[in-house]
Amino acid sequence: MPTAVVRFTMTSEADQLVRMRSWLWTQLVGQALPLEACSACLVAAGEICNNVIKHAYAGEPGRPIALALRALDDRVVIEVEDEGTPYDPSGYTPPDLDAVPESGMGLFLVRRSVDEVEFDIARPRGTRWTLVKYRAKPAVTPPA
Amino acid sequence: MDIDVKEIGKVTVVAPRGDVDMAVADDVRARLTQLVDRGRARLVLDLAAVMYIDSSGLGAVVAAMKHARAAGGDLKVCALEQDVRSVFEMTHLHTLLAVHATRQDAIAAWG
Repeated sequence: MPTAVVRFTMTSEADQLVRMRSWLWTQLVGQALPLEACSACLVAAGEICNNVIKHAYAGEPGRPIALALRALDDRVVIEVEDEGTPYDPSGYTPPDLDAVPESGMGLFLVRRSVDEVEFDIARPRGTRWTLVKYRAKPAVTPPA
Repeated sequence: MDIDVKEIGKVTVVAPRGDVDMAVADDVRARLTQLVDRGRARLVLDLAAVMYIDSSGLGAVVAAMKHARAAGGDLKVCALEQDVRSVFEMTHLHTLLAVHATRQDAIAAWG
């Protein structure tokens, strides 16, 4: 049976973010994802949407942001798509946390919150982000 | 955003209510900066009513902390909910500013 996908669309205003988080939280809790993992997904998806609003659309309102959620037996997959300026990975520098930065922590939080982060910029326009959160961490086998 | 401000002696307690995200981070930053500029640089940021904070919100907290320290004061935070604490821990902010369990503890820490 194909995995069901649920979808959500918003536009690129910051005051839309709370609506996105409400939708995502409801969906994730409904998929029986542990609450800690639900919160982590909210952080990651929120930061991706922040980046889309701020960078891909450079603050321009009214542009589309589409989210899709797939729940699998062992993980959830969240996709975030925009039609703006594609993400440029060469522009990313991990923040120096000891320097107490006031910005640049968004993608760092994304990577710390979910297990896998991918982006697809080989598209006619925009970026598709894929975030994966496993329901449980694989057991670590201690060294013999 | 609803931001409650109370002056208790030389300490000012600032308590935002709701998510501190990109939509409201500038409001929080502006409110804290205004207080410092008015001479209220001994700040307590009470986050008991904040269930979500993003990198924009963290940026506002860091900017306010730096501004307060430059004015001879500081910013202490208190009453972090679990998800907010988790974000502070991921970014190591909990090691760079004073975090207290309760508002009373944070106020008392000012002496």
